[in-house]
Amino acid sequence: MSKRLKQNLAAYGMVIPAFLVVMLTVTYPIISAVIQSFQDEKTGAFTLDNYAYFFTEPAQLKNLLFTLFVVFVTVAIAIVVAYLLALYLRFTKSKIAKTIGTLYLVPRFVPAMCAVYAMITIIRDSGLINRIGLLFGMDIKLGMMYHASGIITMNLWFNIPFAAMMITAGLGAIPDSIIEGARDVGAGKFKTFTSMILPLSIKDVIIAATFVFMTNVGSFTTPYLMGGNSPKMLGIALFDQFNKYLAYNRSAALSVIMFLICSVSAGVYIYTNLKEQDWEKQ
Amino acid sequence: MMSDRKIKLQIKDMTKKYDNGDGVEHINLDVYEGEIVTFLGPSGCGKSTILRTIGGFLDVTSGDITIDGKSIVALPPEKRPTAMVFQSYNLWPHMTIYENLAFGLKLRKVPKKTIDEDIKKMLALVSMSGSEKKYPGQLSGGQQQRIAIARSLLLKPSLLLLDEPFSALDAKIRQQMREELKKIQSDLGITVIFVTHDQEEAMALSHCIVVMNKGKFDQIGTPAEIYDNPQTLHVASFIGEMNFIKQANGTIAVRPEDIVVEKGAGKGDLDATVRTIMLMGHYVSLTVQHGDDVVKCFIDRDISGQLKENDAVSLKIGKHTTFPNT
Ligand SMILES: Nc1ncnc2c1ncn2[C@@H]1O[C@H](COP(=O)(O)OP(=O)(O)OP(=O)(O)O)[C@@H](O)[C@H]1O
Ligand SMILES: [Mg+2]
Repeated sequence: MSKRLKQNLAAYGMVIPAFLVVMLTVTYPIISAVIQSFQDEKTGAFTLDNYAYFFTEPAQLKNLLFTLFVVFVTVAIAIVVAYLLALYLRFTKSKIAKTIGTLYLVPRFVPAMCAVYAMITIIRDSGLINRIGLLFGMDIKLGMMYHASGIITMNLWFNIPFAAMMITAGLGAIPDSIIEGARDVGAGKFKTFTSMILPLSIKDVIIAATFVFMTNVGSFTTPYLMGGNSPKMLGIALFDQFNKYLAYNRSAALSVIMFLICSVSAGVYIYTNLKEQDWEKQ
Repeated sequence: MMSDRKIKLQIKDMTKKYDNGDGVEHINLDVYEGEIVTFLGPSGCGKSTILRTIGGFLDVTSGDITIDGKSIVALPPEKRPTAMVFQSYNLWPHMTIYENLAFGLKLRKVPKKTIDEDIKKMLALVSMSGSEKKYPGQLSGGQQQRIAIARSLLLKPSLLLLDEPFSALDAKIRQQMREELKKIQSDLGITVIFVTHDQEEAMALSHCIVVMNKGKFDQIGTPAEIYDNPQTLHVASFIGEMNFIKQANGTIAVRPEDIVVEKGAGKGDLDATVRTIMLMGHYVSLTVQHGDDVVKCFIDRDISGQLKENDAVSLKIGKHTTFPNT
């Protein structure tokens, strides 16, 4: 055997296990789900009804729009807040900034269930805020439970630290000297931001946004514990179809729909990552 | 020196200490309008630190800095009438060369036509014509440095701060750029503060040299004053070639060209023996041994012709400075 062949075999040998795992656990279920989604529940014949159901049934359509609404609001607020936080952490050199810089990731270490329950005890209509209000003679009912605002608030708790982490890494890669150069030729803080910092960090911001988007389209724990009966997040709708109604073909169709929604942002992610800006080409 | 010259920049008892205790202390300096002043000193002596306090990128710990009589220490960099070429030449990587050069002009609302013309002229001046559409990442270090210089010059600042702006250039372009800088400086009548650790560059460029050592000023003077009358051992050793000859009553600092060599012992101030003879072109570099000290002398070729290694010679010490032994 030639040396080259040996090297190739060794290389394949190392890749094959991972390849098989991916094929078995990812590719196979996806293919089978796609096939199932086009099959009639009883006859197994080809049909588009499973898909049509989710776009024509008013309650289902509402779920879809509700999910998109919650996800877009979550992405928008999480990214804006995270960007501001990351800017603060990057450009402030105080003790407070340092402390925040160490602590802002702590929410990520709280198990999701604990965090959601903790939030519920604070915001529910008989929760901490209500009780503090009562001390001052006010009966504050936030009405955030079983409402989009509750889910969004919880999503922000999880996603702001995560997005801030990604954006902070990007901002950290911008050398001070670039900013000093801009200030030196007469750019104020705002101009420096729009001409230097934003273009140099926008890639990380978009990537963070796609991640936040994807993780929230299929979120389950939060809407399960905090969401209302209607409209529902798609994760819960899927759970219902699968576990309550045992409608496996519709479940498959809904899975594919969610997958497609996510793949839009996956597309944005891949495009952003692959696309070399002119100035990055050597 | 004329006494009616206008002071452009004044640094008054300025101290800048970093958190770790490094920095510069009690800096006093007057820079006159239209001068090139050079900060010269070894790496880490605080040259960049002073320049950055003038540019506004470092806050001073105490003291004051004035430009045209007005204190600038409270102003942010963008409000100061200075332009700086940074040691790391920091062009903006996401902008083309044209955009890099135009950025500051656009902020000043210069009409586009003027911007285009100025940029064209300036690129020709730094021999970078035709690079408008390139990105900084596509240029060599020396080319980036020239663009950085062009970017600052375009703004016609009344005080130009240059932090080792020629460090990435090869000897020939360096020489050219020095001459260009001198010409631009006198044409525009701007005041320049120039940082270097290259004493030859300092000599060639400056009206006034500030020799620095460990966060302090050792000596301020014209190139001739610094060269002829170094006031400390550090200045003497840092500028030009210098022999240090230990004597009982002090150390004599004498330049190689200020020693007259004669064949045979006992005819001069010191006796020595020849170690090496090296032909440098129109003159000869001779090293001789005197006690423990090796002394370098520049001599004419007609004298060197009479000498060979291990010959006894006598040295006549001409212009020199004596420093007390430490
Ligand atoms: N941001 C900083 N924080 C702490 N110490 C610093 C900082 N910048 C510089 N120093 C220290 O201050 C001293 C002077 O630094 P400076 O950069 O002014 O030197 P320099 O004369 O410009 O040297 P070089 O020729 O290498 O550029 C050095 O001892 C350096 O370690
Ligand atoms: Mg420096």
